[in-house]
Amino acid sequence: MADNTFDAIVVGSGISGGWAAKELCEKGLKVLLLERGGPHEHIKDYKTATKSIWELPHRGYTTNEQRKKYPVIHRGWAAQEEVMDAWANEEDAPYTEVKPFTWWRSYRFGGRSILWGRQSYRWSQMDFEANAKDGIAIPWPVNYNDIAPWYDHVEKFAGISGSPQGLSHLPDGQFMPPFELNVVEKDVAARIKEQFKGQRHLFIGRVANITQPHYERPGCQYRARCWEGCQFGGYFSTQSSTYPAALKTGNLTVRPYSLVSQVLYDKETKKARGVEVLDTETNQAYEFNSKIVFLCASALNSAWILMRSATDIWPEGLGSSSGELGHNVMDHHYNLGASGRIEGYDDKYYYGRRPTGFYIPRFVNMGTDKRDYLRGFGYQGSASRTGWGREIAELNIGGEFKDALSEPGNWRIGATGFGEILPHHDNKISLDKNKKDKWGLPVLSMDAELKENEMKMRKDIVAELKAMLEASGVKDIHTSDSGHAMGHGIHEMGTARMGNDPKTSVLNKWNQVWDAPNVFVTDGAFMTSSACQNPSLTYMAFTARAANYAVEELKKQNL
Amino acid sequence: MDRRELLKMVALLTGGAVIGSEFFLSGCTAGGKAELGFTPGNIALLDEVGETILPATSSPGAKAAQVGEFMKVYVTDCYPQASQDAFIKGINDLDADCKKLHSKSFMDCTPEQRHEFLLSLEKQSKEFNTGPQEEDKKNRAELKAKNKEYDFVAKPRHYYTMMKQLTLLGFFTSKVGATQALRHIPVPGKYDGAYSYKKGDKAWAE
Repeated sequence: MADNTFDAIVVGSGISGGWAAKELCEKGLKVLLLERGGPHEHIKDYKTATKSIWELPHRGYTTNEQRKKYPVIHRGWAAQEEVMDAWANEEDAPYTEVKPFTWWRSYRFGGRSILWGRQSYRWSQMDFEANAKDGIAIPWPVNYNDIAPWYDHVEKFAGISGSPQGLSHLPDGQFMPPFELNVVEKDVAARIKEQFKGQRHLFIGRVANITQPHYERPGCQYRARCWEGCQFGGYFSTQSSTYPAALKTGNLTVRPYSLVSQVLYDKETKKARGVEVLDTETNQAYEFNSKIVFLCASALNSAWILMRSATDIWPEGLGSSSGELGHNVMDHHYNLGASGRIEGYDDKYYYGRRPTGFYIPRFVNMGTDKRDYLRGFGYQGSASRTGWGREIAELNIGGEFKDALSEPGNWRIGATGFGEILPHHDNKISLDKNKKDKWGLPVLSMDAELKENEMKMRKDIVAELKAMLEASGVKDIHTSDSGHAMGHGIHEMGTARMGNDPKTSVLNKWNQVWDAPNVFVTDGAFMTSSACQNPSLTYMAFTARAANYAVEELKKQNL
Repeated sequence: MDRRELLKMVALLTGGAVIGSEFFLSGCTAGGKAELGFTPGNIALLDEVGETILPATSSPGAKAAQVGEFMKVYVTDCYPQASQDAFIKGINDLDADCKKLHSKSFMDCTPEQRHEFLLSLEKQSKEFNTGPQEEDKKNRAELKAKNKEYDFVAKPRHYYTMMKQLTLLGFFTSKVGATQALRHIPVPGKYDGAYSYKKGDKAWAE
């Protein structure tokens, strides 16, 4: 085998790319894993993970200089001192906003698998049927039963903790023992069950943090500092899980600083023959060849690569023959919710820091429930006692004030909603040929926004949460909606959707590009609708399924 | 979402706490000066202001946590320029205001006089802050209408408010504050959601 020839090339080392590399390596393929950023080694490179808050000069907050360098990251809660190194350099890699778009990128090995929120929920048949039933966009080309065994497969390896609930619209999975609700959350859960006659459910979030040792990973130590990287392998990341498994096969080669600038398409065979890589340190271009290519560069960047590929045949890029490449951008909308005070429980506190809170799954537009909008939303939240940032009545300064703040305050409970975003053809991204990145490549231009369905849903998200909190005896409820720019949910998806018809979709039901069947796209780009559950677990399942299929097809010499 | 993210969101949702929402929200457009000329005298003064707000009790106070030095770092590196200017001016205003009440500088006052003076500033600062708070509200609403709330930069608060906020932040996140005024357990190793609590038990540092 020549130095630059492999069986498979995987582009991107985040959640999807790590899975693709692991599965393909374990099935005996020689795999080249390409990452545009630099290395980020498990444990050794988790620089802040063992530091205490007082060892951070700004105690977790960011500086004026960081604000200037990372303006996009500063639009949300993720601008925190301990993780600023994780985010993509916004000066080197800008993008154009036709409409406000928040794009959270991490260009280093492991990608956002280090930083992710780890909430892991299955989709249900209701979600896979939704487009067909509502006559929205195009139908999904798969059913829940096609994906369920792959959910099993990825859950067993990744390690998902959770409690079975027996809900058909949020199927149970292969769970490790769950984390625990605290005393207040348990009572609120019971009150919600009673007040809403068993139709609404509050339970502990299902999360990719392990509550038992798993493979080489000791497990969660209840520090809740996951996104700094975990020296205990407490949660699923490329570093803790898929990378060591892939490495063990002896079939993996990793190349950092490798920005894939296009898929190389062969007109004769009508397939890809490899990829072109731009070394981000030397600016040198290289070609790598392979039988199959997995694009896992994150939804928008995988679309960007396709847009730049095979343009001599399709001016808008590989996969553009349907006219859908770069269209149907989706996300989950949030930044809204409610919180309030819970009386009592003065003799109760908690010990340890859970890496998850509670989850309230969707309950609208199901069964006989009908709203003036389509689809639905879930909530994530927690109850806790207030800390030193609170006001103390009658005390402003002095010893009594200090001693009062040294004790926990009263209990509060709050949650934020996560709503489904419908696919719209005119919510799109495209190449901005007038703006170049540091390497002289055209950048993406974002033109997407929330539409009427989402705006109606947002009112309901706040109103229903307020009603549930009120029914549970929560006092002084404060509601909020601070708006949502596309991308802010960090669940961007849909830019190369799958479908049954090459005229209306970019990928087939096996995540293969219709126009080049040995190219698979298995990050969020393939999504045909967004549902309201956190999507990473679904990307893992589809990636493992596509990798298995690709190897089968290779064996049959169909690729 | 993790707890940290959630706490931050809940703080945004509730607002109005001692650590105001201006701590969490500051746009990138403001920028700041790199050198503000803090003197050792300024730091000593800020330590004493901090100690008056959070004095040593059964646990050490703000001075032991070196909140003056922390304020210098935070104001220099993190404050938008308008708030930087207001803070530096505030250091001088503080002495002038103190002289009006006690006819001597803050450093020359007894702990009781310092306490009395800062209490007078509590009231004064609340009245002063209604102006910038109103402006903030208006500016935020305008930016929100454009879906650009992230460009919001808070107007400077009364110098005393800034000093008090930084005292609280600097103290409770310091080693002294987190391990002696609060309880700090770096690796809890387990979770108990109904842990018993009795009055006087300290809060967790994180």
